[in-house]
Amino acid sequence: METLPPLVQVEYVAKSFGPVVALRSADLSVMPGEIHALLGANGAGKSTLVKILSGVHPKDGGTLQVNGKTVTPGKPSDAMDVGLATVFQDPALIPDLTIDQNLRLTKVDKSLVLEWLANMELTIDFDSLVRDLPLETLRMLDLARALAHDPQLLLLDEITAALSADQAEKVFDVMEKWKERGRSVLFITHRLAEVLRICNTATILRDGVTSAVLSPREGGEKELLEAMLGAEATAEYSGTQRDIVADAPVMLEAQDLHSRGRVNGASFQLRAGEILGIAALEGQGQERLFDLLSGDRAPESGEILVDGSPLKARSPYDAIARGVVLVPSDRVLALLPQRPVRENLTVPLYNEAGHWFSLNSTETERVTGAIDRLDIDTRAQAQVRRLSGGNQQKVVLGRWLASGFNTLLCFDPTRGIDIQTKRQIYDLLRELADQGNAILLYTSELQEIPLVCDRVLVLYNGQFVHEQDAATATEEALLTASHGLAESK
Amino acid sequence: MTTVTTRPQEERKTKFQVWRSRHGWTAGVWLLLIVLVAWYAALLPKFGAFQINSILKNSLPLVFLAIGQGVVVIAGGIDLGVGSMMVLANSVAALLMEGQPFAMTLLIGVGIILGLAAMNAVVGWIVSVSGVPDIVVTLATLFIYGGLALLILPGPGGGTSEGMRWMFTGSTSGVGTNFWPPMIVLLLVTVGVAWFMRRTRPGLSLYASGSDLNAAYLSGVNTKKSKVLSYAISGGLAGMAGLAVLALTNVGDPRFALAGQKTLESVAAIVLGGIALTGGVGSIVGVVAAGIIVFFLDLLLVAIGLDSNTSQVVQGVLIVVVMMVAGLLEVRRRRLE
Repeated sequence: METLPPLVQVEYVAKSFGPVVALRSADLSVMPGEIHALLGANGAGKSTLVKILSGVHPKDGGTLQVNGKTVTPGKPSDAMDVGLATVFQDPALIPDLTIDQNLRLTKVDKSLVLEWLANMELTIDFDSLVRDLPLETLRMLDLARALAHDPQLLLLDEITAALSADQAEKVFDVMEKWKERGRSVLFITHRLAEVLRICNTATILRDGVTSAVLSPREGGEKELLEAMLGAEATAEYSGTQRDIVADAPVMLEAQDLHSRGRVNGASFQLRAGEILGIAALEGQGQERLFDLLSGDRAPESGEILVDGSPLKARSPYDAIARGVVLVPSDRVLALLPQRPVRENLTVPLYNEAGHWFSLNSTETERVTGAIDRLDIDTRAQAQVRRLSGGNQQKVVLGRWLASGFNTLLCFDPTRGIDIQTKRQIYDLLRELADQGNAILLYTSELQEIPLVCDRVLVLYNGQFVHEQDAATATEEALLTASHGLAESK
Repeated sequence: MTTVTTRPQEERKTKFQVWRSRHGWTAGVWLLLIVLVAWYAALLPKFGAFQINSILKNSLPLVFLAIGQGVVVIAGGIDLGVGSMMVLANSVAALLMEGQPFAMTLLIGVGIILGLAAMNAVVGWIVSVSGVPDIVVTLATLFIYGGLALLILPGPGGGTSEGMRWMFTGSTSGVGTNFWPPMIVLLLVTVGVAWFMRRTRPGLSLYASGSDLNAAYLSGVNTKKSKVLSYAISGGLAGMAGLAVLALTNVGDPRFALAGQKTLESVAAIVLGGIALTGGVGSIVGVVAAGIIVFFLDLLLVAIGLDSNTSQVVQGVLIVVVMMVAGLLEVRRRRLE
């Protein structure tokens, strides 16, 4: 193997977007027949490198060689022609077309797609509209479509972020099969456990520069983290968990909530100073539950109590007025992408009484305080959409810091965010709870629960079926309960 | 093929529900047209081939414009220049075709259609490379094409051959009972464009670009080419609309007011026809019915005894009511989910 020339060779590649330097000098060398991890903190330049490889962005400098030949893909189809197929972070399927039409659009062999889907034990009605299908299915379709192009190198940009554990398992199987065929995979993920398990080599980017090329199984997680974040940031993280104050006032209470078969009698109490975790497999009604709590929808029956009195919300505005605010997982939903950071932070203040004129000095101070407190990278602050995912999520949190709240509903707030930013968010959540706020946290990463939460509830088929102290909540225990297997509480 | 959903509690929709959600709007618009025509027929002492001919030939120009507008909007743009292109085609054709034999006028007509397609393709190219919004560029072309028409034909004049008149109206004099020629022209264009949009790769790429430009680009669709193509189609169809108007009246009419009105009517027709102004959604078949309705309301309201000024108000109210009902149904559907 060592004597073979690299399949893809990237040297000194640089790319800037206006004043923001995304890549300074990235090197990457992928051998035939390997699963190669591309790692780095948010904003390190991983996605930019992928987009250069797949012809979405032109590079500013450096060289890119495939099979020893220099190539400059100018558009995605050029990259496919030289044997690079990409599954992007966002689904690249057209929502208003059927699957069949989507496949016809891109000159892909349908029988091969079917074969790969069968391989992953998925059967999908090709006549269904893309917008009617769940995100998970779309990710798998994206993967099958990329494989059907029969690429030399398959690029997977955070494909597992939106997948449940069993679906992710299928993706790993496919990656192994691809490797056995002598083809290669470039795998981008924030989940180091996945890297340790299946990757032969890892290239690590830090601030737009390749900082290390490692063999993950030898060095382990600590070495990977060090290369990603620098030695000082890798100190063991002990979590933020603390004792529950049982006699603190109840800030938010749900009583037997029902909603169209998605939420079927959910009840809980959330106390001041508490971080209550919710664990669930995909599709157990967690989205709908958060819609109800945040005032986006009214429940069919049941009641939501805020500070002991009922909340009859007609829109999120009513919930926000009572101090119940939401941090969604899809940051784009909550942000005004074309507006600057400061404006995004001050949006909730627009509705406060007596505010015909722009912000007064106290409010400006609060906004500046939030930016400092959250350490938001404001290099690209003219437009929030230019910030990295982690920084965008900080802006969403910062918005509520600046405007004030009592109860924070966090729906998978750390999805697709790097470890360093995650830890900042954990610390911030704990600090907010210590100040007497109540926090409800749904997370798709079960290992977060013992790190961050005080108590955890497991949601199954729209009901809470299990409750335990978060400190003792192992992944096994939560998974068992999530499948509806544990005894009722 | 069977479906395995990842959410077991989700029920599979029946075939009828799927059909209704995909084609319900189109079927509804056609139903509305049929109801309106039936009402009209009941109001008249006699309803026959003459009335059918009249409805068809008179709605042809707007239907062509609306189909072109629909293609552009499906691809994620909007073309405010269609009305002016129709007037321009009408003026140029009237000037060139007067006194010519049928074969010559046919050639001129094809030339005008291709010429406008090429000119409007350039407009699409400008939009796609400059990044200036469609509505801005085509607002400018509305004036440019309209001005060109007045330069070429300063006042009403010109004419066309009897053959051309027959093709779009069913009679050499423009008045008659033979509704087959206009119906066949309408069917050919409708089926051709609808087939192109749903069954061919370039057509699907128009839906793709309008539905999600980024996803289309990432899947390897040439999104610039799609934009150029959509504008070329609307240019060509506006050319046909111009020829149809000339066939109706046998005189070139360069008035700018007509251009503005037809542009707005084409937008009204696509909205009523079920095309989302945000792009990517809707069917050409629905637009055809909606185009006929927008023209036909006038006739119907006059038959009822309203004067034609009132009929504009009714047209506007009808569009708002239909869209509002659709919006409320959608809200209700979401709530029941």
